[in-house]
Amino acid sequence: MERKNSPASASPSQVIEVNIDIDPDADPPTIPPITNPSPTGDSKACRGGTCDLSYTKDSHERFASMRKLIIAVVLCIIFMTVEVIGGIKANSLAILTDAAHLLSDVAAFMISLFSLWAAGWEATPRQSYGFFRIEILGALVSIQMIWLLAGILVYEAIVRLIHDNGEVKGFLMFAVSAFGLVVNIVMAVLLGHDHGHSHSHGHGHEHGHGHGHSHEHGHGHSHEHGHGHDHSDEHGHAHGHEHEHDHDHDANTMTTYFHHDHHHNKDVKEQLIKKEKKKSKRNVNVHSAYLHVLGDSIQSIGVMIGGAIIWYKPEWKIIDLICTLIFSVIVLFTTIKMLRNILEVLMESTPREIDATQLEKGLCTMDGVVAVHELHIWAITVGKVLLACHVTIAPDADADVILDQVIGYIKRDFNISHVTIQIERQ
Amino acid sequence: MGMQQKKEKEKDPSSFSYQFPDGDRRLAFSRQPSFLYPSPSPSPSPSPSPNPLMQRSHSFTRSDSKDSTPILLMLAALRAVANGSRPIKRLALMISLNVAYSMIELLIGLFTARVGLVSDAFHLTFGCGILTFSLFTMGISRRKPDETYTYGYKRLEVLAAFTNALFLLFLSFSLAVEALHAFMQDESEHKHYLIVSAVTNLLVNLLGVWFFRSYARVNIVYWKPEDMNYHSVCLHVLADSIRSAGLILASWFLTLGVENAEVLCLGIVSVAVFMLVLPLFKATGSILLQIAPSNIHPSAFNKCSRQIAGLEEVLEVSQARFWELVPGYSIGSISVQVKNGVNEDPILQHVNGLYNDLGIQDLTVQIDYR
Repeated sequence: MERKNSPASASPSQVIEVNIDIDPDADPPTIPPITNPSPTGDSKACRGGTCDLSYTKDSHERFASMRKLIIAVVLCIIFMTVEVIGGIKANSLAILTDAAHLLSDVAAFMISLFSLWAAGWEATPRQSYGFFRIEILGALVSIQMIWLLAGILVYEAIVRLIHDNGEVKGFLMFAVSAFGLVVNIVMAVLLGHDHGHSHSHGHGHEHGHGHGHSHEHGHGHSHEHGHGHDHSDEHGHAHGHEHEHDHDHDANTMTTYFHHDHHHNKDVKEQLIKKEKKKSKRNVNVHSAYLHVLGDSIQSIGVMIGGAIIWYKPEWKIIDLICTLIFSVIVLFTTIKMLRNILEVLMESTPREIDATQLEKGLCTMDGVVAVHELHIWAITVGKVLLACHVTIAPDADADVILDQVIGYIKRDFNISHVTIQIERQ
Repeated sequence: MGMQQKKEKEKDPSSFSYQFPDGDRRLAFSRQPSFLYPSPSPSPSPSPSPNPLMQRSHSFTRSDSKDSTPILLMLAALRAVANGSRPIKRLALMISLNVAYSMIELLIGLFTARVGLVSDAFHLTFGCGILTFSLFTMGISRRKPDETYTYGYKRLEVLAAFTNALFLLFLSFSLAVEALHAFMQDESEHKHYLIVSAVTNLLVNLLGVWFFRSYARVNIVYWKPEDMNYHSVCLHVLADSIRSAGLILASWFLTLGVENAEVLCLGIVSVAVFMLVLPLFKATGSILLQIAPSNIHPSAFNKCSRQIAGLEEVLEVSQARFWELVPGYSIGSISVQVKNGVNEDPILQHVNGLYNDLGIQDLTVQIDYR
């Protein structure tokens, strides 16, 4: 699959090479070319098949998310048809409006489903990084829709205010929005549920998690737990990563990293316990659909309160508007964190969980390395990080050995799988 | 273009300088590399710094402190607008006109209990919000790259253009819904009082179109990121003016007695806006999706690849990935397998030179020995 990007060598047999080559980083550069007839050069650039940009390893997790979303869509459509029929029968605009909101929910789910499905497409020469970005763009579109809907609801509240002639029946509003709230809560539970299951499978995976995370903690990264949720999710997907970590630590001979091992053994237990408690680990698409549903339920609560007030005291219409405004603002706040994530990925900024200064310092302290510059770390989607940099080495150093060391260090300590290092001599 | 001819200029994606003035579209056929400065070898920054740690070729000035109080922020924003370039000033003027107008409309609508005015005001406010985002990115995109945003802030312009395009798509969709609505409704419900607001809207938007008139086309070749942003703003005001014109026409036709005029006009406007915005949407979307640079033909990449693989010392070329940061600045990474013991410097130069000719400004080459 990788070979699509190198038209110079297009033999399909090379696909096999990538899977075999899981050398630990004590990889002697003195392997004579004859024993490896086809260049396994990719061993440096991508180890153990995790360089696969087609997401086939995480397809298991992906299908689980897709299944959940499909169930949610079907439920939504059922409820929507019920509401439409009821609204036409009762000739009530309020019920039809709520059905329209459910329709927007369906649209958001469709976007998420499409993004999930599209992320599994194979990388092409034109789209050399795979289709993961579609997730991010889909989430952006979803969030824009949430904002749009909040605006529409505020507008509707104003319309209700203007039409002072008592057309609005408070009771009907209350009942309809209560029904909508129940539907939304059901879907929120469905979307937020059972991620715990997929992570409790196989303790080996959890160890991998522990390693992945205690790296970050060991280095004293800022503990943004919100982010930690998302990222531990992504680490869990590529099961190949975990095995790799184990291998690397077993073959570890560099003393500078030895104490990290002890660190890990101590921290793994704590990480495991912490992980069972954390419940919000989600794929970015499922998360945005969840946000959509959450926003809707918050709005429903607001409309319910407004309806109750109008029902109880029809002259306090202004409170309805104020209520809607407040709840819309609350909904907008829930989307801000996700929006920030999306923005950072789209701006190709250094992901929050990677400490770039630490990385540079670590690289510069290696022997042979004189300077590091043009360091770019960016994410293709939340959780998949790439790195490119230029390393200047002393004129007499062995470029190959240093390349191995650098790549090994980056992969081990920062869990960045796609690394491109340009070595220059001074 | 040989490697010897290339000048050593600082490779900095946030400091473009182009030899032709703003808005000159006649040079659309010139090859890109001659206008941008390619940097053959990624050497460290010109200032000789003895500090081996954290040496980067981009300057690291953290831009001025973000004042936390909103008043200071607003003052800073006003100052930025006053010092900004001409498009920034024009856009700021347009936005303030729109905001003032929509506030007035909202108040009038609330006091006279006219729903149509309120909905129009909402439309305008949303549009203004998005235009403000565009304005904001115009100001902020000049910042130097810093630690978190190692590639600079120019991407924001593409994002703003994408948001604008997305909003226009939503607009076209909502116009279609409105047309459907009008189809099902009685004609007597048509809101004639909207004419005044439509006329005013049309005038303001036409002013905006005139400000950005050099971008008033559907398909534009984008040379720099500001192009995308300005184009999206222009399309935005253009779509708005088309919509107002459509409303006015619909009212006129209705008074003439043409049946279903509103449906027809709204439908046509909706389709027109959709077609207008689609190329921009695709272009910005493809940049955000990390698709390979659109101004370079894929066969050119293959050719370069083959050329490199054809060198004596090179065994294999793999993992050639390219993407566009902003229109006009492309970045790539490639992995080259060479025979053992070969000096890597000439190969580096050669590979960099080849891809620079193509238009890839920033290339990281990983040389593996086997």
